[in-house]
Amino acid sequence: MIKIITLITVLISPFFFIGIINKTKAVWAGRKGASIFQPYYDFYKLLKKGVVISRTTSLIFRITPSVNIASVIFAILVIPLPFSNSVISFQGDIVLFSYILGFSKFMTVLAALDTGSSFEGMGASREVTFSTIVEPAFFIIIGSLALLTNQVSFTSIFTALSLSASYTILIKILFVISLFIMLLVEGSRVPVDDPNTHLELTMIHEVMILDYSGPDLAFILYASVLKMVMITILIVNLLIPASLALVPGILLFVLLISLSFISVGLVESLIARSRMSHVPQFIFLMTALSLTAFAVIIFFLNGGF
Amino acid sequence: MNNLLIGIFLFFIGGIASIFVKENYKAVLFLIFSSIAQIFILPVIFAILKSGGQFESALLFSEPIGTAFIRLDSLAAAFSLIISIGALLASVYSIEYMKMYPGKKSELSGYYFFLGLMVTSMLLVVIVQNAILFLIVWELMSVSSFFLVNFENGKDEVRKAGIYYFIAMQIGAAFLITSFGWAAAVSGSADFITFKNMLGSSDYTVLLFFLFFIGFGIKAGFVPLHTWLPKAHPAAPTGVSALMSGVMIKMGIYGILRIILLTGTPDYKLSYAVFLISLLTGIFGVVNAIAQHDIKKLLAYHSVENIGIIGMGIGLGMLGLTYNNLSLAILGFLGAILHVFNHFTFKSLLFFGSGVVYSKYHTRNTEKLGGLLKYIPLTSYMFLLGSLAISGLPLFNGFISEFAIYLGMAKGFTVNNPALNITMLTGFSGLALIGVMAVLCFTKVFGICFLGTPRTEYEDKSTKEPFLFILPMIILSSFVLFIGLLPALVMPFLLQIVKQFIPGDISFEFENITQIYSSLGYIYIILIGLFGFFFLLRILLLRKREVSVFKTWDCGYQTDNSRMQYTASSFARPFLQLVGELVPLKIKFKKDRILFPANASLESQTQDYSERFLIQPFIGYLDKTLNRFTWIQSGKLQQYITYGLIFLILLIIWILGAES
Repeated sequence: MIKIITLITVLISPFFFIGIINKTKAVWAGRKGASIFQPYYDFYKLLKKGVVISRTTSLIFRITPSVNIASVIFAILVIPLPFSNSVISFQGDIVLFSYILGFSKFMTVLAALDTGSSFEGMGASREVTFSTIVEPAFFIIIGSLALLTNQVSFTSIFTALSLSASYTILIKILFVISLFIMLLVEGSRVPVDDPNTHLELTMIHEVMILDYSGPDLAFILYASVLKMVMITILIVNLLIPASLALVPGILLFVLLISLSFISVGLVESLIARSRMSHVPQFIFLMTALSLTAFAVIIFFLNGGF
Repeated sequence: MNNLLIGIFLFFIGGIASIFVKENYKAVLFLIFSSIAQIFILPVIFAILKSGGQFESALLFSEPIGTAFIRLDSLAAAFSLIISIGALLASVYSIEYMKMYPGKKSELSGYYFFLGLMVTSMLLVVIVQNAILFLIVWELMSVSSFFLVNFENGKDEVRKAGIYYFIAMQIGAAFLITSFGWAAAVSGSADFITFKNMLGSSDYTVLLFFLFFIGFGIKAGFVPLHTWLPKAHPAAPTGVSALMSGVMIKMGIYGILRIILLTGTPDYKLSYAVFLISLLTGIFGVVNAIAQHDIKKLLAYHSVENIGIIGMGIGLGMLGLTYNNLSLAILGFLGAILHVFNHFTFKSLLFFGSGVVYSKYHTRNTEKLGGLLKYIPLTSYMFLLGSLAISGLPLFNGFISEFAIYLGMAKGFTVNNPALNITMLTGFSGLALIGVMAVLCFTKVFGICFLGTPRTEYEDKSTKEPFLFILPMIILSSFVLFIGLLPALVMPFLLQIVKQFIPGDISFEFENITQIYSSLGYIYIILIGLFGFFFLLRILLLRKREVSVFKTWDCGYQTDNSRMQYTASSFARPFLQLVGELVPLKIKFKKDRILFPANASLESQTQDYSERFLIQPFIGYLDKTLNRFTWIQSGKLQQYITYGLIFLILLIIWILGAES
């Protein structure tokens, strides 16, 4: 029961957290800012509209929004939700998780190329190029966790992890930072991408979906914010201790997730977006941190000092 | 066994028979023969794959071969399956494809003759168990495929590629002759069974295995021995490219697996070496594939990549044997063998697709294509299916075999050994890197060639897709989907093959693995259900609403913009900048050196790192060193007679010395 309630909460929550990011930015800039619930109104408005479709496009363009949502929801089903195991759990779900998200990326990139627009080709090219750095780094993270816990599914990894030795706090911190970088990349936020930019030439994710409108656009936006929530759940799962009671646990959980999104807002307020050629360096930081954590694991598993 | 041999030789007979009929009937006659061959071969193969065991028969040859055994065990059966089906599909495809070359009667005769010879020799390679006979059929396979590569020998580049291929194969054969000769000399017999004791216990095992690995590795295309692949595959007619890439390079894999079967528990050095070389091969192959804009060359580099993935599976299996970890060994060999079959399906599919494009638009250059989905929809969607499968994405068969390899590496984490753990993590993120780069590469190929709008005006604007092109692709697509969606159903067959490699009873561990795969099947239902739900939701939302069709958003630019589309080069550029010198770029820039330059041209070409920095310098060095000895062969008869004289004198001294 609690599983279904949390799942539904997670599925309806994402726009709220986008509201938090926007609010944080507004407050930092000394503005009052829009309501935290504004993204919900925008979403509803998009859902009510009709669509304009490019005549160059094919079926691929039409199915991609649904593929996106389906993949992200599926990915959420395999990661452990707060205070319950994941909905689906089997050996090797850590691999399927990434590959399903890869599938949706494949389709998004094709949908962008389907329009034959030079802008969208540009965004598609950048998106996959950055993925070639993010994916291996993410596999270092889950591989290290699998090594540390001897498990190959998210649920058993996180269960084992919350009971593990004290040195793991160091590893957890390193992984949290790397996953936060992944959050910025996959959520296309500053310093990798700027969701507020109005110049097609400098966009990454936004430019790939230029030709979408109405419900299609709503689907895609929902999928991408849900993906951000999914990554924050992974982050919070690393941090939260298993021994908490239900009510303080839920409070801590919501607090930590909100804190992650406030951090995204703060990063956006504090630093400028990187030059396109400097973005890979920033993402490589994720690889470096994960590798360091892996080295620490190998060191301690073999006796430490 | 007799049935099998009849089936095998039917391909050859079909090739000979098609020489004597009219141009238009050659293809059909060959197809008839290869279809009848299936009736003889397939039941035998399935009998073995179902129950394990083996068929054996002895053939009596005159010396030096003597009695030679031919055996069909489950490993040989698995490879025979892809050869047999691959040959049938290639012969169906060739009927339509070879219509591109009307009037070339003698060339076509040669084509079908050598095609038959190649298929027959490949089938013999996997069942012959005698070193001498093996080398003979191995050479027959290489030589016949050389003639097939050279089909369009009027073209300069094809001739060059053919000769390059031939030399590479001969170098490989030299290594194989050395290693088989050595093994036979030590064990005292040319029969493979006798190698078993020798390879298992000899002091030379490591060196001998290494020699075998180089010999077979050249055929398979392990880096840095892969340089012939991107040259030979584009040169050959597409049916042959598909057969070479999907089937023939796997003969190298077969050889390596056969040697492992004979070696027993491998030395840890070998296991690590095979795994790491394969990882390198995988990464190198796909990085180079991204840089290519010739579809067939790109697919050839992807064969290198997939050989790397197969090799990783083999390496894992060997590591499992070394560390005596059953699950690790099972998953490794299972992944490798399943990937051999999977790669056969999607790579042949992709080659056939590229052949349709070539026969219709006469170009393999991605930069000149675009928007093909509107012209050849069936081919395009099947090409998409192949692209998804080769990128290892879920729902398709590529994922199933890569998943086994991932699980195997995860099992390697449970072994308490830091060296193994580090290797496994390298493999874990390395395979992810290969996967995501394959995504980049195939979004590039599919997006640029089949989506968007045409980049050049096509002469052939029809939407006709000949049935004989589509049929083999439909069959391959159904394999891709079948294994992808119902992986548990092929597991019993794989059990029979995998258990050959692992001593002891593996049925319990195997049952666990089958369990995981059958749960994967159910999980897919959820995924497909979710997708269906949202797609229906979209349809419902858009019902009774305005869906208008307009041009692509282009910032208000009002004229035709098909030439403004992103190109394959620009798509790959950011990534290639990241990898830098790994893919050396040669740029030729020409400009008029006058005040108002009107003519300018820019040409960029990527080079193969290992060819540029390993093979070429090595050949140069060989050339330089061996040149010092050219005086030996001066062409003067009197000098040669002197050699004979010197030899005789030395012989006399030796005999006298031995006597005293």
